[in-house]
This record gives sequence, C-alpha cells and structure tokens, in this order.
Amino acid sequence: MKNKRIVIYVAFGVILLLSPSFLNAYWVDVLNNVGLYTILALSLNIILGHAGLFHMGHAAFYALGAYTTAIINTTYHIPILWLLPVSGLVAGLAALVVARPIIHLRGDYLLIVTIGLVEIIRIALVNNVFGITGGSNGIFGISRPVLLGWKINKPWEFFYLIWGFAAVTIFLFDRLEKSRFGRALNYLREDDVAAEGSGINTAHYKLIAFVIGAFWAGMVGNIFAAKMTIIAPESFNFWESVVLFMIVLLGGRGSIPGVILGSFLVLGLPEIFRQFATARMLIFGAFMVVMMIFRTEGILPPLPRKYPIAKVLGREGSV
Amino acid sequence: MELFIQQLTNGLAVGGIYALIALGYTMVYGVLKLINFAHGDLFTIGAYLGLTLLTTLGLTNYLGPFGVVIVLALMVMGLVAIVGAALERVAYRPLRTSHRLSAVVSALGASIFFQNAVMLIYGARYKVYPHDILPRTAIHVFGLDIPLIRLLILLTSIVMMIGLYLFIQRTKIGTAIRAAAIDQGAAKLMGINVDRVIMIVFLIGPALGGAAGLMVGLYYGQINFTMGWLYGLKAFTAAILGGIGNIPGAMVGGLLLGVIEAMGAAYISIAWKDAIAFCVLILILIVRPTGLLGERVAEKI
Amino acid sequence: MKKVLFFALILCLMAGTAVSAGTIKIGLMAPITGAWASEGQDMQQIVELLAEEINAAGGINGQKIEILTEDDGGDPRTAALAAQRLSTQGIVAVIGTYGSAVTEASQGIYDEAGLIQVANGSTAIRLSEKGLKYFMRTCPRDDEQGLVAFKTLKSGGYKSIAILHDNSSYAKGLADEAKALLEKDGANIVFYDALTPKENDYSAILTKMKAAKPDVVFFTGYYGEAGLLLRQKMEMNWNVPFLGGDATNNPDLVKIAGNDAAAGFMFLSPPVPQDLDSQEAKAFMTAYKKKYNAEPGSVWAVLSGDGLRVVAEAIKATGSTEQDKLVAYLKTKMDNFPGLTGQISFNDKGDRVGDLYRVYKVDNNGKFIMQ
Repeated sequence: MKNKRIVIYVAFGVILLLSPSFLNAYWVDVLNNVGLYTILALSLNIILGHAGLFHMGHAAFYALGAYTTAIINTTYHIPILWLLPVSGLVAGLAALVVARPIIHLRGDYLLIVTIGLVEIIRIALVNNVFGITGGSNGIFGISRPVLLGWKINKPWEFFYLIWGFAAVTIFLFDRLEKSRFGRALNYLREDDVAAEGSGINTAHYKLIAFVIGAFWAGMVGNIFAAKMTIIAPESFNFWESVVLFMIVLLGGRGSIPGVILGSFLVLGLPEIFRQFATARMLIFGAFMVVMMIFRTEGILPPLPRKYPIAKVLGREGSV
Repeated sequence: MELFIQQLTNGLAVGGIYALIALGYTMVYGVLKLINFAHGDLFTIGAYLGLTLLTTLGLTNYLGPFGVVIVLALMVMGLVAIVGAALERVAYRPLRTSHRLSAVVSALGASIFFQNAVMLIYGARYKVYPHDILPRTAIHVFGLDIPLIRLLILLTSIVMMIGLYLFIQRTKIGTAIRAAAIDQGAAKLMGINVDRVIMIVFLIGPALGGAAGLMVGLYYGQINFTMGWLYGLKAFTAAILGGIGNIPGAMVGGLLLGVIEAMGAAYISIAWKDAIAFCVLILILIVRPTGLLGERVAEKI
Repeated sequence: MKKVLFFALILCLMAGTAVSAGTIKIGLMAPITGAWASEGQDMQQIVELLAEEINAAGGINGQKIEILTEDDGGDPRTAALAAQRLSTQGIVAVIGTYGSAVTEASQGIYDEAGLIQVANGSTAIRLSEKGLKYFMRTCPRDDEQGLVAFKTLKSGGYKSIAILHDNSSYAKGLADEAKALLEKDGANIVFYDALTPKENDYSAILTKMKAAKPDVVFFTGYYGEAGLLLRQKMEMNWNVPFLGGDATNNPDLVKIAGNDAAAGFMFLSPPVPQDLDSQEAKAFMTAYKKKYNAEPGSVWAVLSGDGLRVVAEAIKATGSTEQDKLVAYLKTKMDNFPGLTGQISFNDKGDRVGDLYRVYKVDNNGKFIMQ
C-alpha cells in the first residue's frame, strides 16, 4: 500500500514538473492557482487539520501578506522576494495578537470569530484604512519578482516559482507533522483535556499552530501580489476562506496528499466545468455534496500513524 | 432622541428577520451540531417560491391583503420545509456518523448548488414582488413615522419565536427534540425515533427560513439569487451571538445584531457597520465564550 | 491512481479546444456567473445576437465570425484565468469586461498577448492611463461623468449636497470626482458615506442622511440599491430629489422602487438605443425584442455590443485581422462610427471621445425621459 502510494506520488511529481512543456499558458496558469491554493490550504491544514481549530478566516492572513508586499514594494521599491519573510512576519504577528484572546473559544464560536476577522480586514481594506490600502481600487503596479537575476513574468516561470515553494512547504510541513509538535497537535485535537493532563500546554500549542499557518499564508500573499501585479480587497473576501476550508476537508483533514488533491479538485473542476457555462457552479456544488457522502473523511484521509514497535520488540510482531 | 428611536425601530425590523432565519440555524444546530450553511439559500428559495405563487395563483382576486399573506406564507413554508427535509435526507443523513466538519462541506456544496439552481431557473436579474400587496400606512408615535409593516415583521418574528418555544417546551415532539439534542444515543434507548425527530427539525427550520424569505420579498420587494448568502451569514452571526442551540438566544441575538448595525451606521460610520457588528460580536464572545444566553457547557472530562 | 486519471482528464479537455480554421474569432469576457451575472448574461445575449446578424449578412469580408465566451465570474483572479484561456485560442480581439478591477486583472495578459481589448463597463480612469497599446473602451470614464454630475447639480441650484456611494471601485471613483469638483466650487457636502451593496434595508442610512438635511442626494452606486433607496425614502415621507450615476440606468430600477417612488428620479447615462433615432439603434431594438422578447437591460451590455461592432468595422475596413493595423484604424481613422449608443470615435489612449452623457428623468409612468 505504502509503496504503491510512493510510486504514484513520484509519477505525479514528474508529470507536474514537466507539465509546462506540454500545457498551454492557460492551463499552466490554472496550475499556478492550484499551486498557490495548495500552499495556502497546507498552511490552513496545520490549524484546521492538525490542531482541529475551526478556522474559516484564513484569507485574512493571506490578505495581510499580499497588502504588506504591495504597500512596501510600491512605495519603497524593495524587490518582491525580499519581502517574502516580511509578509510572513506581519501576518504571523497579526495572528499572534488576534488569536490570543480567542483561541480558547469552542468550535463554532471560533468559526464565526474567524469569519468576523476576515470580514473586518476586508472592510478595513475597502475603506482605505490609514490611507494606504487604496480602497476598493486596491494597489496596482506591483513589480515582478526577480530570482537570481531572472525576471519572473510568464506563467511557466511563475509555475516553477510557485511549485518550488510548494515543494519546500510540503517537505517542511511533512517534517512538522511527524515531529513531537505535530503529534501534540493531533493529541489536543482528539482530546484537549487529556492532552492538557499529559503536560501539553494546549493554548500555547494552538497559538503556535495558528501563527505558523498565518505566517505561511502571508508568504503566499506575497507571491500572489507579485503574480497579479494588482490586488484588490475582493480577492480576499470571506468566500476565499470558505474555498480553503473546503479544500482541506474535501481532500482529507491532516493529510498532505489529500490537501494537494483537494486544491486540484476545488480549483481545477470549475475550470473543467467551463464548458457547462452558467451551470458550471451548480455542477460543482452537487459534486461537493456527492464527494462528501462517498468519502466522508475526505478523499485521501491521513494514513494512521505507525510506530515501528517491531523494531523495538525485535522481528516477531508485525504491524 | 427622536433619531435614536427611529434608528432603534430600523434596527429592530432588520433584526426581526435575522432572528427568524437564526431560529432555523439554531434548531438544526441544537439537534445535529451542524451549521447548515445552506440555510440562507432555503431563505432565498422561500422568497422566489413566494413570488411564483403570488404571480401565478392570482390569490389577490379573492382574498384581502392579510388573507393573501397568510395563505402564501403557509404554502411557502410547506414547500420550503419539503426542500429542507430532502436536503437533510440527501446531503446530511449519510454523514451523520462522520466528523462534524464533513457535513459542513456538504452544506457548503448544497449552498452553491441551490444558489446556482435559483439563478438558472429564475435568471440572474433582480426579481420584484408586486407593490400593492401590503398597505403602506405609517403609524405616528412620538412624532415618528413608523411604517406599519415594520412593526408587523417584528411582531411576526416574535410570535413565531414564542410559538416555537412553546412547541419545544410543552409538546411531546418538543420533548423528543430536546432529548435528541442532549444525547441522541440515550434518546434512542428511550424509544425516541431520532431520525423522525431530525426530520421534523428539518421541516421546521427551513419553513421558518422560507417564511423570512417571503417577508423580505413582500416588504422590500426586491429579491436576487445571492441574497441568501448575506442574510445567512448575518443570521448565523446572530445565532452565535445569542448562544447557538438556544431558541430565545437566536431571537435576542437577531434583534441585537440588527440594532448594533443600525446604531453603528447611525453614530459611527455606515461603511464600517458590518465591521463594527463583528467587533462587538468578538468582544461579547471574549467575555461570554458561549454567547449571551448560551449554556455554560462544562469541559468534558 | 485518481490523480493520474484526473491529469489525463485535463489533457483530454485541452485537446478538445483545438483550433478550427476559416472563421474570425472574437472573444467575449463577461461575468456570466457570480454577483454581476445579470449584466454578464445580457452582454453575452447582445454580443451573440449581433454576431448572428453579421454572419447572416455574409460575415466580414466573406468570413464568418465566431464568439468565444469566457466567464470572469466578476472577480479578478477568475478574470486572469479567463484572459489566459482566451489568449491561447487564436482570437483577434476581446470584448469586455464589466468591472474595472476585473478588467485591470486581465489587461496585462491581453497586452502581452497582443490582443485588442474593448472594455464595455470599466470606467476607472487609470485603465487607459497606463499607455497600453491594445486597450480601448466603449464606455466613458469616471472623470467625464463626474464633470457632468457637477454641472447638473450646480445648475439645479442645490446648496447642501449628500453623496452616497457603495464602496465599489466604480462608485467611489465617481463620488470622489464629483465631490472634489463640488467642493472647489464652494458647495456644501453635508454627507459622504458608503452603503453595503446587496442588502435590503437602507432605512438606517436614509434616517441618518435625512438628519443632515441635504437639498439633494447624489447616489453613485447601482440600480438595485437605488431602487430600494427610493422606495424606502418614500415610506419615510422624505421628499428630497435624488440624482443617480450611470449604473442606475436599468429599467429594473423602476420595478424595484415602484412608479410612484421612482417618479422624479434623475440620473446620468450614455444614451440607450431606445432613445436614439439612428437606424442602427432602431434595428437593434427590433432584433433584440424579437429574439429575447424583452428590452435590453443595462446600457453596459449594449456597450459590449458596440465593442463588437467597432471591431467588426475595423476588420472590414482594413481587410486584415492584424492587431496593429486594427488598433491604428480604431484610434486614428474611425470617425463617428454609428454605434448603438451614438457616434463612436476613440482617442489615442483608447478612450471614447465626445460628450456622451445625457440627463434622464423618470416620469410618473416609470419611463426614462431624456432631458
């Protein structure tokens, strides 16, 4: 089972890597969007999938990152990629400040508070808060990123930037998932009283998960701003948060391959359904319902954690 | 002061509609712990069905204005209840034993489906109710002009809320609903048909949402296929504000949200009113983590 | 396994969009789903109707035209995708789209692909100030309308003015333009704020506005909200005159407000075909009514029809589908081309020239009367 999965992942990775050579600019750009949402959804997955916090306002941090990049880039002309960590930092700090008082809220109460956050941020952006966000016009004239002297401009160039970033994200988040920290998150997701009893400072861990997720979303905002060269508040509305939420749950909470597949489906299918014109979103909605009915835990739920007890006990017990 | 009272009545009328929709959220949540994101779209469907019935049946020919409204309301509530029950059967029942969030995604999918179905059936343009159904008289109180219909909206919401409350507290089915809300397993063991209870909840909740849709159509006149999303979000906020799962809480939350919005618009800024409402919500939840009337649930041990 | 299948599916679908030869392809980018779906579907109907007419008359220089429609969903990210998709399909020009921010997200992509873009509803000033060679629009710009609004308000003799917008890029732009001009002229702006679009109850806003005691209210948002404002204003027994921007030009406004509440409402707009005597406008009205059994809704959708007609005219006149020639023709040679919304010429920024705006007033029967 495990080997088969690995073969599929490798084959998938190779096809993806080569895809700009046989896809046209449009499909490459679809894949770019899928890539951006994959990274966003992976960052949400830390909060929603691993820590089990009902967070439906991830677009807020994504927006903060994008606007940080846009504002600093257009006023001080600092190269885009230098602003990558800055965007992450701003989003992460914001998460630290806002999450502290709300992190103890139970499930659905947290859900509405995070929805509130994304709406407050959007309204602030629309109303041109502090005179720096450009109101509903947004900010335009953001420069393109330059990587080692190469100006990134065309869809296929962005493809490698975005999926390169996605690969790094997948690697790091996979390590995180398998670390003590990741196990602690899963523990408090399943039973936070028991986790607290076992010496896990649950509020602290939840907060860290929140900040990591927000930090990463902020960095995606940076790339999004550079790719679009114009950003407007409408790109970060509540619906975007819902889309991310759906990706994580449709793919499989807490499963990296699941989340990747989820973003392919949630972003790719409406594009494929374009041939149905005005009915495309109708079909998409029905698809979501059907998918959840047949795969209630998501399409690719995480494999159960395995611990190599066999190694400890010698060869006798196979797991 | 006059201005204050005027704004208060404005807020209460809007809040009455939020409350009516919030009742549906809260009922479903109480029993299934499910946030029914498609509830806003059931509200939209109610508004559109009301328009269809109104223009095709020609009820105005043999009934007075209030007769028309009552007959129409009963028909719309019945039809939307059927849609709601079908939704439960198709999209939620298969997910009942799985994780709560799986049903949320199913609900979001259903919401997208309904919204686009309404658009495909009725078209994307605004639809407009006939103007002359309800009398447009205003009452003069304290030197203010308060449209009669605003009072009626508020009154209808309160009457429905009280009716629902009595139904839940006093009837046998109501007791069954409460039992299922506390513990489905135990309720089953006591001989309660939980499936039937859930079905009833999904008949009542959507019916109330449909009634709210009809009210919005009749009073404001203009309806469009995306309106359920906005109202749904507001009503969900209201339900949480009052303490979700709690019927008087939904009523209080709805009215309060309407008033906060009106006051925010009046005394701070119109453009920021939704942000103000969410800020108040967050502050309230920080102080009372389960909403205004929500029960203090003991941490599970 | 599923992923591989999925990928194969993408490939198959791509193969499906192979190029068919012999026709002139013109793209239409419109919001046919999402919040602006009603405008977008109108655009699609009108552009398809006109294309059918052109083809029925033998096409352009003997070649048929084919319209490829892509949905921009009314949001910038989807629009960028739609633009990428259209630019890979061998089209000559793109008609659309509606919202300014949405157009902006697609501008760069079309420009890089060397495709002509004729926007129909994007009135933000900056769109044509970037020096993009292939961008044009059939709609006027916000500054032009701001000036007309200012003149109208001034000639009405109003002293204290309330301005209400809806925080959309377009409505705020217009509100700001008008406000700046009015303030320079010494008028008293007693109220300036934004409502939340797509709500149903604006009585809180009206109550607040009424307390500011304006002589006139200038609302720069869309017809849906304008209709509700008028209706709720009448319920409050408040008789202040209302002036609307060009986004209020839609017959649905009267349906929403009701005849009695809409009577006396004034708005600014480019002329709609209903009000023009020209042969083109009349023929279009007849054909539209015949095919869709209704009157065209918004003027913006009609402007997308004009977009198609100018592109077709340029192809016909130059006998070429080369973008550089077409743009040169449109910007320099096209002179008072008879459009569905009056005569059309473009300046070298790609903006439509000429005094386009008219003042309309709603009469007691809910009809729009050009002043």
